[in-house]
Amino acid sequence: MAYGWLPNSMLNARGFKVLGKRLIHAIPVLLFATFFVFGLINLIPGDIAVTLAGENASDERIREIRHLYGLDEPFLVQYWGWLNKAVQGDLGKSLLTGERVIISVERSLPNTALIISTALLIACTVGIPLGIVSASRRGQALDGFIMTIASLGVAVPSFWLAMLLISFFALNMGWFPATGAVSFSTNPANAIHHALLPALALAAGGIAEISRQLRTSLVEFLSSQQVRTLHAKGVSPLAILWRHGLRNVGINLITVISIFVNRLLSATVVIEAIFAIPGMGGMIVGAALNRDFPVVQGVVLVMALIVVTVNLVADVLYGVIDPRAN
Amino acid sequence: MQIISEKQNALLQIALRRRDMLSLLGAGTLMAAGSDATAQRTPLKGGVLRVSSLANPSSLDPVTGGSGVDHIYLYAIFDTLTEFDFETLGAKPGMASWAFPNLNTMVLTLKTGIKFHDGTACDAQAVKFNLDRARTDVRSSVKSDVSNISAVEVTGPLEVKLTLSQPDAALPGIFADRAGMMMSPTAVQKLGNAHDRNPVGCGPWKFVSWADNQSVVVMRNEGYWKPGQPYLDGIEMSIIPELATGLRSVVANQNHLVYGLSPRMTPLLERAKNVTLVRGPSLFHHMIYLNYGRAPLNNVKVRQAMNYAIDRRAFVTATMGGIGEIATQNLPSTHWAYDKTLANMYPHDPARVKKLLAEAGFPDGLDITIACWNDQDSARRREVIEAQLAAVGIRCKFTAGTITEVSNQFFGTEKKFDAYLAAWSGRPDPSMTYSSLFGKTAYYNASRLEGSDELATLLQHSRLKEDQGFRTQVFAKIQRQVMELGLNVPIAFNPELVAVAKDVQGYRPNLLGKPKFNGVWLATK
Repeated sequence: MAYGWLPNSMLNARGFKVLGKRLIHAIPVLLFATFFVFGLINLIPGDIAVTLAGENASDERIREIRHLYGLDEPFLVQYWGWLNKAVQGDLGKSLLTGERVIISVERSLPNTALIISTALLIACTVGIPLGIVSASRRGQALDGFIMTIASLGVAVPSFWLAMLLISFFALNMGWFPATGAVSFSTNPANAIHHALLPALALAAGGIAEISRQLRTSLVEFLSSQQVRTLHAKGVSPLAILWRHGLRNVGINLITVISIFVNRLLSATVVIEAIFAIPGMGGMIVGAALNRDFPVVQGVVLVMALIVVTVNLVADVLYGVIDPRAN
Repeated sequence: MQIISEKQNALLQIALRRRDMLSLLGAGTLMAAGSDATAQRTPLKGGVLRVSSLANPSSLDPVTGGSGVDHIYLYAIFDTLTEFDFETLGAKPGMASWAFPNLNTMVLTLKTGIKFHDGTACDAQAVKFNLDRARTDVRSSVKSDVSNISAVEVTGPLEVKLTLSQPDAALPGIFADRAGMMMSPTAVQKLGNAHDRNPVGCGPWKFVSWADNQSVVVMRNEGYWKPGQPYLDGIEMSIIPELATGLRSVVANQNHLVYGLSPRMTPLLERAKNVTLVRGPSLFHHMIYLNYGRAPLNNVKVRQAMNYAIDRRAFVTATMGGIGEIATQNLPSTHWAYDKTLANMYPHDPARVKKLLAEAGFPDGLDITIACWNDQDSARRREVIEAQLAAVGIRCKFTAGTITEVSNQFFGTEKKFDAYLAAWSGRPDPSMTYSSLFGKTAYYNASRLEGSDELATLLQHSRLKEDQGFRTQVFAKIQRQVMELGLNVPIAFNPELVAVAKDVQGYRPNLLGKPKFNGVWLATK
């Protein structure tokens, strides 16, 4: 049973059809994202040829550089050239530094992925229990306390929280490093040690959102006719909550989590700058400011792929939890 | 926190000179008493210096790169034909000494036994290869620096003769910069464009790795030609564009040194006990570039009015915590070519501004468009300048953007704004600065006009003779012309601020404001 983890509902022809459809939908999404961003780079004022030509460059030299890098080609020709190579796995080289984009991505992606996955883990392990406790103690002091904290979590900007965390845990207490990242493959423990503070700053909003959404859904479920019937049948409150409750609110939970993951991708831009983490966020900002389009396109493609994959996983999970979703 | 100012630096040097002299005189008892101090100051070998660096290099090939932030990496890997004096920027021999047998000839004589990191000899052939490449390579960004060299001839194993199309006494200074950084011809020929990312020089450290936007790592060159140097086993430069983050990395003991700090960060440094602030003057100054090729700034009275409208002292107090030097010319007071007589040329004088504007035909003031940078410090500078100019009737419409973006719009073909509130980072030789700012074809001259015929003649004249006394006089005339014509509005020199961890020894700031780590060592490894 190679697909033992998938329920029967996903293994039938209809399940595969839905999965296939989603994958086909991903292609125009990727094309649109890369084309749109390519257009945006062209709209940014400035000219990378001037940067490449260096100080004191004459207008003639700038024209020469533009021609050398194909920057004088029409917009569509440039995009087509990029796309043609990208589908063959060649993301090109940075115009500014000559480093192959795939190498930069391979180096930066693990750093970003580590803080995002750690943040997700923290958000889920703290947010889900808080939501459950809050819903099961509805109207009590504990519920009020958790929801107040959750409101704060939503309201507090992650960059501000990051500053506070650095100031207290890194500079005053010296428990965590204030900046930098370590590769997970070379030293996993040290890598997590470096990733914890940025992940915590990113997770705060997620904890708040997950716990609030979960509480609302659970409260709605707990006050439904179905629960009254289960009570009447003598099912224990704990079994109602775990066996029936979480299954019922699962779809909502997965939606919130998948939106949170996608949002984390953009939030890392600021967090990476504050913690000096050489990740995808810093890479795209630097490249966009200098109109280094092969790098921007490479990062956008990878980020779009991540978003598409996260959404696909969420779709699959919808089907697992509730076959009607297919 | 401990601040080493220029004055304290000088005092320290005087103290050292006195101690050296006493030891030479054989004052045995004094030597014994001072031995602890001497022992402490004897450089230790070893250790890796960790530096928080401002930006990703544009290239690690000195000739193909074009960014002012590259030098910190280049200085580590490449030695230059000549060097500059840290305090005054005067040129002095480096890998080579020089002579001008006549006005149109320069002879470079290399020191013996210098080798590139790949073992290739750094001889006359290598110098010819490098200079020809700088002059002719399609990707060279230093063509204009060496444009007066018409031929390079090898006249001995270690001797090169340069034939000049016109006299160029700026070349000794120019050879202390990119054009004088020697690369291994073997490596350049073998690697081609890939040399940008795999540089081979003959500097104190060899290139190890460069990960874009992450780090540049170098390690000791065991065959370095200067005896006993370098002290450090290596340097690891982490690229952290956010200055505050870079500073935090030093306060948290993750890095040893961060440079290019903003004066507004000094209060933060005062609270940090484990960090020393090294402060030095630098050529970097804030100024307003003017496009004097079109109305309304083609009127000299309007330009002069702008110079009188700026209260430079107030600017330094409001935006630089009071630690900048006010600028009424494009060179700071410690520079060898500084002209004292210009120090009070443009006092803050609102009445004079009104009078000049009325004479220029703007009795009710005027409107100008002006570009500026969009970072936090620039926003503060903009507010001060905007208020000062508005107070005398010069109404500014500001557009903020990234440095690349607004520079392109102002200096490039677009010519979008009347003025540009920005900065000039300086060059080793003043001729390079003035030619870059006021030369007819210079990129940084948005008007692409000569300020005056006399100025054009003086710019050429400044390269005529090497004699510093002669050149000082010419530069004084140039600077007076620039200021009388109001070709720009210099405002204030930014001090070079470097935060170093306590165990970093021997770091000295230089007037160019681009850190060199040649004399640096670590007290604990």
